[in-house]
Amino acid sequence: MSRKATAGPSALPELTSDDMCPVCKTIRYLNKDMEFLINPECYHSMCVNCVNRLFNDGPNQCPYAGCHRTLRRKGFRSAFFGDLAVEREVDIRRRVAAVFNQVEDDFETLRDYNDYLQMVEDLTFDLVNGSEAKRREAEATLQRWEAEHRADIERNRRAGREADEQSRRRLAAEREAARQRRVEALREAEEERRERERSREMELDSLAQGDAAAATGAQHQQRVQLKKRGQANRALEAATMTTTAAGTPAAADVGRLSIRGLKEKKKAPAASEGPYDPFGGMDFVPSRYKIRPGLTHPAIDKYRHDPAHITGGYSFDEYIDRVMFEAFAGLGVFIEDEKEAGIGLSAGEVATISAGIAAVGDKMELD
Amino acid sequence: MAAEDARYRQSSQYLLWSFSPSQLASIRENTNAAARSAIAARLSSLPASSSNTLSAPTSSANTPDPEGSSTPALPEFLTPAEEALLVTFYTSELLRAGDHANMSDEIKATAAAIFRRFYVVNSIMTYPPQEMLIVALFFGCKAEGHFPSISEFGKTFGKENPDDILAGEFLLCQGLRFALEVRNPFRALKGAVMELGLLPDIEASRLAAAERRAREILRFSPLITDAYFHYTPSQIMLAALSLADRGLAERLIQETFHYVAPASNNSGADTPMSDAATTTTAPSKRAPATRVGGEEDKATIIGSHVRDKVLGAIEACRDMLAKELPERREHWTNKTVYKAQLQPLRKKLNKCRDPERSNLVGLQRARRQQAARKDDSDDEDDLDGQARGGGGGGGGGGTTLEEDGAVFGDAANLKGHKGGGGQVKKGLEDPFGPPL
Repeated sequence: MSRKATAGPSALPELTSDDMCPVCKTIRYLNKDMEFLINPECYHSMCVNCVNRLFNDGPNQCPYAGCHRTLRRKGFRSAFFGDLAVEREVDIRRRVAAVFNQVEDDFETLRDYNDYLQMVEDLTFDLVNGSEAKRREAEATLQRWEAEHRADIERNRRAGREADEQSRRRLAAEREAARQRRVEALREAEEERRERERSREMELDSLAQGDAAAATGAQHQQRVQLKKRGQANRALEAATMTTTAAGTPAAADVGRLSIRGLKEKKKAPAASEGPYDPFGGMDFVPSRYKIRPGLTHPAIDKYRHDPAHITGGYSFDEYIDRVMFEAFAGLGVFIEDEKEAGIGLSAGEVATISAGIAAVGDKMELD
Repeated sequence: MAAEDARYRQSSQYLLWSFSPSQLASIRENTNAAARSAIAARLSSLPASSSNTLSAPTSSANTPDPEGSSTPALPEFLTPAEEALLVTFYTSELLRAGDHANMSDEIKATAAAIFRRFYVVNSIMTYPPQEMLIVALFFGCKAEGHFPSISEFGKTFGKENPDDILAGEFLLCQGLRFALEVRNPFRALKGAVMELGLLPDIEASRLAAAERRAREILRFSPLITDAYFHYTPSQIMLAALSLADRGLAERLIQETFHYVAPASNNSGADTPMSDAATTTTAPSKRAPATRVGGEEDKATIIGSHVRDKVLGAIEACRDMLAKELPERREHWTNKTVYKAQLQPLRKKLNKCRDPERSNLVGLQRARRQQAARKDDSDDEDDLDGQARGGGGGGGGGGTTLEEDGAVFGDAANLKGHKGGGGQVKKGLEDPFGPPL
């Protein structure tokens, strides 16, 4: 935005000359700690020494030939991206985003919001890649918008900050809760270990004394301990349950793996239709014929004992199924009636079939 | 509703390619009219000095109303009836070609059905039938799970260049609305024979003879008529069987639709069954019916009312097939018939061919070029002009993206896009054949 007008992205100074300062021609070989800085005024890079030398005494002109920008010491920083064109675009986008910070809730319809986003993106593009005139225009638009919507922008910024703050707090709370849980778990494990050791010692003692009754007692003890552990777990669960019920949603999320930002899903109506039917309830039980033993045809008889067919697992029953189906499928389908009006059908079928026909019919007309 | 019928109604043959006679006639008329106007427009847009042999100079003498001195006069176009006759003739040619290449019955039948379907929505004046029938045969092979090598296949028909065949392939697919399945009645015939074979009072020799004859009929008659459009495979099969042996077909129908309302209380008495048949077939058949539902359902599935309707349909189909019995094969190859009826039509066809679409290879090449160039240039009209000059091909309008979307959109909601409105309709226009 505030670069030389004629410079396209390709004309930007390259930071690839990583080993030599373009201003003082110092090479890295002589100064191992050489660091390059840029100023977002013109994105010309130079080494720290040059910056100090030139700008310590106040604002000065950019030392690049042909660049007459006045730079200040304060504006210099090291580039985050190697490609300065990217650096510049990111800066511009940051600036635009700070001004155009409306959120979807500010708009009445999604359509409006999308239009707004489109407008912002067009403007950004002009700023980044546009010609001199376009750039100037976009700059003016940006400033006008900033002036006009100062209150809105401020409000949104505050809201954004608050949201950030909130999410940060929530994250911290979650982290804290997780830490608590870990500590708790550690403590429990430790306790359990100690308990186990104690009971083991007791058991050994009793065995050493050769007291069978005591040994069973130890076993009993162990069982008691197991039971206790189960109880402890259950108690813990109950505790979390109550906190879930009482606490904030953030607290509820603590217990399980959660992905933030997902919308609360509506519960699907309880499916009571039974298992999923991939055929959409179509009936495969033949109603006009029946597959009976003895159905056969001379043409397939000779293959029944042909090793080439039976070793491969050829199923003659499947074949007969298919043949019989084809013999009777559509016997009661009267194309003339059904395609014209759906006569002789029940109401539901007429609806579905005529939808299909209408669809087909429409296409036919087109050809 | 019977489960088998419900399943048949799911097939693309039923959904897309079954019409009542009046519907079929109106579609053919539309196709013919569209082809006429498109070809007329293209012919008149051709430069008068073009040395195109297809264009009008020869016919300008006999056309009554030459339009003007600058544009060549339009040839006389084929009427829908003439088109249908020619399609039938070429179907018989297709069957002959299939015989020549020793193809199985299924392949020939599928190819013939494909061919006829293609020429329902495309005019024979637009795309050359002589080439399309070989494409249809090649495609029939593939649709029936038989994959010949294209070069071998081409040699069988004296086409050394595989592109001659492949050029029409996508076109054919489009014309078929990508519904590649054809339900043939051959396997159904086997099923009928199996069912009849279980009846004790039918001699095997009679059955075998009837099957042979019915198969012979199925190999020819339904393919050369519109039977595939108007009847279901099982009805066609029964019609053929009844042509071969009327008694057997009626018997099978009686056996199938044996249900009588319980009031009369003499189930099975109206069928001429022997006692043995009653005991073996009747109870076993009633079992599924009871499973499906009550008496009402049974009546609608295997009751006498439906039986009469089925008999009526089969009778109609039988009449249709009887017009083209296998003996009529000779009719279509007969020299005198050919000279008298077909040759004039073919001559007429030669005159009113679509100047841009009759060369499939050129058309294909032009389309490819156009697709390749589409990236470079935005100017559709300019492109079209170039393509026309280069290979004599027009252009399917619309971007490939749109076409893809339309294809998938159609596949996704075959039933429901009625509500989609004009946009969907517009999108659907493209994948199913370019404008004529």
